[in-house]
Amino acid sequence: MRRIPPGLGPLLLGLGLAVASHPAVAAFFGQEGASRPLTVGRLAELALNHVTLAATGLAVVTLLGVGLGLIATRARFAPFRGSIDTLAAFAQAVPPVVVVALALPVLGFGGPPTLLALTAYGIMPTLRGTVGALDAVSVEARQSAQAIGLTPAQILAYVELPLAAPGLIETLRTALILAVSVTAVGALAGASTLGTPIVAGLQNQNIAAMFQGALATAALAFLGDGLLLAIGGWLQPDHRLAAV
Amino acid sequence: MTARLLAGLSAAVLLPAVLLLLPLLNVAPNRLVTGAPVMAADALGAWLWPAVALAALGPGLLAASRGRTAAGLAGFACLGAFALLLAGLGADATDLIAGKPFPTRARLASGAWAGGFVLIVTLAVAARRTRLPGGGVTAAAVVAGAIGCLWMAGALDALSLAVELRARSDTLGAAIGEHLVLALGALLLAAGLTGGLALWRRGRGVVELTVSGVQVVPAVALLGALVAAVSALLSAAPLLRGYGLSALGSAPAVTGIAAYLLLPLWRGQQAARRAAGPGQHDAARALGLTHRQILVTIRLPLGAPDLLGGLRVAAVQALGLATLGALVGAGGLGTLVFDGMAQFAPDLILLGALPVILLSLTVEAALGRLEAALRRRWPR
Repeated sequence: MRRIPPGLGPLLLGLGLAVASHPAVAAFFGQEGASRPLTVGRLAELALNHVTLAATGLAVVTLLGVGLGLIATRARFAPFRGSIDTLAAFAQAVPPVVVVALALPVLGFGGPPTLLALTAYGIMPTLRGTVGALDAVSVEARQSAQAIGLTPAQILAYVELPLAAPGLIETLRTALILAVSVTAVGALAGASTLGTPIVAGLQNQNIAAMFQGALATAALAFLGDGLLLAIGGWLQPDHRLAAV
Repeated sequence: MTARLLAGLSAAVLLPAVLLLLPLLNVAPNRLVTGAPVMAADALGAWLWPAVALAALGPGLLAASRGRTAAGLAGFACLGAFALLLAGLGADATDLIAGKPFPTRARLASGAWAGGFVLIVTLAVAARRTRLPGGGVTAAAVVAGAIGCLWMAGALDALSLAVELRARSDTLGAAIGEHLVLALGALLLAAGLTGGLALWRRGRGVVELTVSGVQVVPAVALLGALVAAVSALLSAAPLLRGYGLSALGSAPAVTGIAAYLLLPLWRGQQAARRAAGPGQHDAARALGLTHRQILVTIRLPLGAPDLLGGLRVAAVQALGLATLGALVGAGGLGTLVFDGMAQFAPDLILLGALPVILLSLTVEAALGRLEAALRRRWPR
C-alpha cells in the first residue's frame, strides 16, 4: 500500500480555504448591510505583504534561534543550558499582542513593530526546539563519529544535523505558524496584512471582508505548514524505502 | 581565578553603562508625545552614585563568585539599587513636573526599563543561587513590598504611569476582573471538552488531528471567522437573537480562546494516561486492586504532574489570548491596550500590558512550582 505523502492534508485544506476566500464565495455570507467583499487584487496584495513580513521575520527567527541553539548545545556552554527552558517559558508569558503594542510607541505604525514582535516572540521557542532536536541525537552516534576521527565541525555537519533534521523541521513548523499568526496581529499596529480586513471588518461590520481575511490567513498558515511537512517527509532518510 | 575576576568586572560594568548612557526619564508636554530625554546625572542627583555602585556590585559579585554568601550579598545589592533607582526617579519626576502645566508627564525611559529589568533578573538568579527554601518567592515579595511602600509613601505619584493609573483606577479593576473571567471561562470550557473527548476512545486519532489543526489557525483569524459565522447565522435565522445569541461579546471570545487550549490540555491528559507503565498495572492487579483502586491510588497520582503541566501551559495561553478578546468586544485588559494603541498613548498601553504580563508570570511560576512538587511527591 502506498503511503499518503506527508503534508498533503494541510496543503489541500489550505487550498480549499484559499478558494473559499474568493470574493464570489465569500459574498454568500453576510449578504446584507455593510458587507463589501474585497477584490481578488486587493486580497492578493495583502497576502503578498503578509508573506513578505512573515518570511522576513521567520528568516530572522530561524537564523538567531537555530544559531543560538547550535551554540548552546556545544559542550562549553553546558552550564547555561538549564536556564534556556525557564527563559523560554517566561518569554511565552508575554503574548504577541502585548509585544506589538509595546513596540508601537517606540517604532511607530506599520511593519517594524510587527517584525520586532515576531522576532521577540519567536526566538525562544525556536531556540528551545533546536536544543531539544540536537539533544535527541544519541550519544553513541556522536561517540562513534569522534572515534573515527571526525572534527567537531564535521560531526555537526555529517552526524548531528542530519539526525536532528526531523526535530528541526518540527521547530520550523512552530516558528512558521507563530510568524503567520503574529503578522496577522500586526494589523492592529497598522501593518497592511491579511489581518487588516479582519480588524477593519470588526469595526465597520464588513462581514464578507472579515470572512475573506480570516479564511485567507488560515489558508496561508496551512499551506506553509503543509509545505514544511512535505519537505520534512522528503528529507527523511528512509522515505524511499517506505514508499516502495 | 583571573577569568572569574574578569567575568565579575565585565558584569559589573553592564548595569552602570545602561543607567548612565540611556535616558532614565522623558519629560513630555502631554501624554501622547515622547518628549525630551533626561539622563541619569540630572535625573538621580545625589541618588546617582549609591544607585550605580550597588548596581555594579550585584551582578559583579554574582559573576565573580559561585558561593552562597556572595549570592545573598548580590541579591541585597540588587534590591538596594532597585529601590534607590525607583525612589530617585520618583523624586526627580516630582521636581520635573512641579510648576509645569497640568498635562506635563514624566515618563520612565529606556534606561530605567532596561536597568530595572536587568536588576530583577539578577535578583532572581541570586535568589536561586542562595539555595534557600522559598528564596525566589521571598525576593519577589520583597520587590513587591518595596514598590508598595514607595507607592503608599507617594514617592511614585509623579511618574506618568501612576498618573494614568489614577485616571483609570476603576476601569483597570473592572478590566482585570473581566480578563480573569474570560481566561477562566475558556479554561473550564476547554477542560470540560477535553475530559469529554477522552471518553471517546476510538476517536483518539481524529481528536489529535483536529486539536493540533486548530493551532495552525491564527487567533485573529479564528476570532474573526467566529464573529463572521455567527453574524451570518443570525442574519439567516434572526429568531436566534431572541435566545441571547450575539455575534460580538464574550461568547465568541471564550469559544475562540478555548479552542487553542484544547491541545495543551489534551497532550497533558494523554501523557497522564500513559504515566503508569504496564509493570505497575500488572503489579497492582496481582495485588488484587480493583479498577477504581488502580485509578485512585496509582494512575491519578502518577499522572497528576502531567495533567498539571498541561493545565499550566493552557492557563498561561488563556491569559495571553484573553487580551485579543477586546477585539470582539469581550472587554478585559485588551481594552486598555487597544485604546492605548488607538490613541498612541504609551502609558495606557503599559497600564493594560503590565497586568497581563504579571498575571501570566505569576500563574506560570505558581503552577510550575506545584508541578515540580507533585513530581517530587510521586516520583516515577
